[in-house]
Amino acid sequence: MKKGDVTEKTLSRRGFLKTAGGAAAVAGFAAGGLGFPSQAQAGPDALPKKWDETCDVLVVGSGFAGLAAAIEAKEAGASVMVLEKMPTHGGNSIINGGVMAVVGSDMQEARGIKDSPDLMLADMMKAGLDMNYPELAKMVAYQSKDAYDWCKQHIGVKFTDPKMLLHMGGHTVARSCPTSIYSGSEIVNKELAKFKELGGTVTTRTYLEKLIRHANGRVVGAQIRTGYRFPDAGSGKVKFVKVKKGVVLASGGFSQDVAFRMTQAPNLVAEVNSTNQPGATAEVLKEAFRVGGNPVQVSWIQLGPWASPDEKGFGLAPHFATGPVFSYGIMVDPKTGKRFISELADRKIRADAIIRTGHAAIGISDDEGQKSCGGPPGTVGKLVERGVVKKFDTLEELSKAHDMPYAAVKESVDNYNSYLKTGTDKEFGRYLQPDAKPIEKAPFYAVRLWPKVHHTMGGVQINTSAQVIGLDGKPIEGLYAAGEVAGGVHGAVRLGSVAVVDCLVFGRIAGKSVAKMKAWS
Amino acid sequence: MEHRRKKILKAAFTLSCAFLLIVLGSGLWAAPKLIQSAKGGNCAACHTDQPALSQSHPDTKDMNLEACRACHTRENMDLTGKLPASHMHLLGGVSCEACHGKTNKPEETPMEKCVACHGPTAKLAEKTKDVKPTNPHTSPHYGTELDCNLCHHQHKKSENYCAQCHSFDFKTP
Ligand SMILES: Cc1cc2nc3c(=O)[nH]c(=O)nc-3n(C[C@H](O)[C@H](O)[C@H](O)COP(=O)(O)OP(=O)(O)OC[C@H]3O[C@@H](n4cnc5c(N)ncnc54)[C@H](O)[C@@H]3O)c2cc1C
Repeated sequence: MKKGDVTEKTLSRRGFLKTAGGAAAVAGFAAGGLGFPSQAQAGPDALPKKWDETCDVLVVGSGFAGLAAAIEAKEAGASVMVLEKMPTHGGNSIINGGVMAVVGSDMQEARGIKDSPDLMLADMMKAGLDMNYPELAKMVAYQSKDAYDWCKQHIGVKFTDPKMLLHMGGHTVARSCPTSIYSGSEIVNKELAKFKELGGTVTTRTYLEKLIRHANGRVVGAQIRTGYRFPDAGSGKVKFVKVKKGVVLASGGFSQDVAFRMTQAPNLVAEVNSTNQPGATAEVLKEAFRVGGNPVQVSWIQLGPWASPDEKGFGLAPHFATGPVFSYGIMVDPKTGKRFISELADRKIRADAIIRTGHAAIGISDDEGQKSCGGPPGTVGKLVERGVVKKFDTLEELSKAHDMPYAAVKESVDNYNSYLKTGTDKEFGRYLQPDAKPIEKAPFYAVRLWPKVHHTMGGVQINTSAQVIGLDGKPIEGLYAAGEVAGGVHGAVRLGSVAVVDCLVFGRIAGKSVAKMKAWS
Repeated sequence: MEHRRKKILKAAFTLSCAFLLIVLGSGLWAAPKLIQSAKGGNCAACHTDQPALSQSHPDTKDMNLEACRACHTRENMDLTGKLPASHMHLLGGVSCEACHGKTNKPEETPMEKCVACHGPTAKLAEKTKDVKPTNPHTSPHYGTELDCNLCHHQHKKSENYCAQCHSFDFKTP
C-alpha cells in the first residue's frame, strides 16, 4: 500500500464522510472555547538580570512578511534584528509557487482584464464565508497594486509575460501574477538583497523562545536561542534581547505542527501530508497567546486540492492541476468516471469534495490543455518522467490505467466539450476559459489528486496597523504580527495567490508602524 | 511483606543502574576520540575501542586517498557516502587545522572555507548539471548559494537537504 493510500483511508475513515452536509470538516470549532490563559492570569514576565543585545525592532521569521517589515523599519531609521530558526532563510515563502493576486497590474492591463479592489474583496469574503475581518481584507485588496509596484520597482522582482496571468479558483477574473521563475524565492531573495543593501542581516539558526511582557503591559524583549538546531528544543545558547520599539511576529503558519494542528482539527493526523517546510510550527503563535494575544479562527486549516499523493510536499503537480486540469481540463471521481465539483470552486469546496469521495480524484487534460501548465520550464516533462502525471494515446487507455469506467469518462469529456460550445457548464456552472479547446487531442494526461495541509488561516488578532490585539480588545504595546501567523484576513478560506500579497501588505504595515513607536529605555 | 518487596525492587534498580554505568563506562558505545595529529590512514589512532575496518582489509596506515582509490573506484566499492567527509579530507592531506585553525575548541566552519579550496559554487553547479533527477547544486530557492554544510557534513553522515520536501534520491558524499 502506498503512503498516499494510507492518507486517503485515514482521512476518510476519520469521519470526513460522516460530516453532515460535508461542510467544514476541517474547521468548525470556534476559537472562543479554547481557554487560552490571558495575560492577567499568567502575570507579567520576569525581566532578565542582563540584556545580551539591544535593538529597536526584533523581527521573528525571514519570509515575505518578516523581510517586508524589516526593510520598512530599517528604511525608517530603526535598528533591526531578524531571527530565523532554520539553517536557511525564507520559510514557506522560499518554496512558494510565486503567484501573487494583484488588482490593476500591467499584466491585467495587457490582457484587457477589468478588475477592481472591491471585486477582489468580494471574492475574498465569499470564499472566507464572510468570516474575514472586513477591514483587514480590505487593506489587502486595496493595497495589492501598491505591493506589486513595490516588488517590481523597489526591490526588482520580475514577473512572467502577461499571457501567463492565471485565473485561479474562487477569483472572478484572472488576476494572479506569477514571478518569472514561478517561485516565491524571486520575491524573498530580492527582499533579502534589499535588506542587506540597507545594512541588515538575518541570523539563521536563532530561535524565538519567549516574549517578555513587562508589568506595564508592554512587550520589552525576548528570550532567544542562538546556534539552535531544528528541531532540538534545548539546543543553542539562551540570550536576552532588549527590544526598544517592538517585536514583529512573522513566523508563518503551523501546517507542519501535527500536535498543535490536531488540537484544532483532530482529523489532521500525522499521516495527512503537508506542502509546508518542516519549520512551519506553532510555538510563536502559542507564545503570542500566552502573553495575551487574542486567538482568531485557529481551527480553519486549508488543504490544497491540487496536491498529488505521488510526490512529496507541494511538488510540481499543483502547476499541472491549476492550468491543464482545472482551467482547461476536467477532474473526475474514478469510481463513477464523472465530474463531481466545479474545478474552479474555492480550495475548501474542492478539497472537501475530493475527500468526501474517499479516494484520489483523477485530473484529465490533453495535448492542448497541457500547454497551459505553469511552473519552471519543462514542468510537464518532469512530471511525466517522475510518474506523477501519466501520458496516454487514448482516453480509453487512460481510463483503464486508473480503473475507471471508460464510457462514463468519455461522456464526461463529451459533455464538457459541448459546454465549451454553448459557453455554460450545465452541471457545475464553472467559468469556462474563452480560449479553451475541446479535450480531444492525444496524448491525454492524467494526474491523481489528493489534498495536503497547506495554509493556516487563523492566528493572532491584529488591527489595520498590524498591532497584536489582546483578549481585552486593546493593542498590546510593542507587539506586532503580519503574514500567516496573523488571523482574520482570509476568514474560512484563503484564495490562491492572496497569501503573498497579504504577507507583503501587512509586513510593510508592521514595519512602518513599529518604527513609529516611541522607544523605551 | 510490602516492605520486603520494595527493598528487592530497590536493589534490582541499583544493580541495573550499576550495570548501565559499567557498560557505558567501558566505552562499548563511546565515540572515537578525535586525535588531531593522526594521519588519515591511521584508523586505530582514534578508533581505539573497535577497529574501523574489517580484519581482511589491507593495512591503511600509510595510505592516502589516492591509495584508497586504487581499489575503491566509482564503479567498484564506491566510497561515496561511506566514509565521513572529514576522513576524505584527512586522507587527501587536509588536516583538521586547515578548516578549524589551530585551536583546542574547534568552531563550525563557514562555507567560505569550503569555497576557498573547492572553487566558486557556480562552477560546481556547472559540473553537476547533468546529475539526475536534477542538479543538486542549484535550485529555484537558493540558486547556487545553499550552504555546503547543510548536506555535506564532515563529522556525521552527510544528508540530502532537498529530501525535506522533494523525492530526489541523491547520494551525498
Ligand atoms: C509550497 C507552498 C506554495 C505556496 N504557493 C503560494 C502562492 O503561489 N501564492 C500565494 O499567495 N501563497 C502561496 N503559499 C502560501 C504562502 O507561501 C505562505 O502563506 C507565506 O509564505 C507565509 O509567509 P510568512 O512570511 O508569513 O511566513 P514564512 O515564509 O513561512 O516565514 C516564517 C519564518 O519564521 C520562522 N520561524 C517560525 N518559528 C520561529 C521561531 N520560534 N523562531 C525563529 N523563527 C521562527 C520559520 O522557520 C519561517 O522561516 C504557498 C505555500 C506553500 C507551503
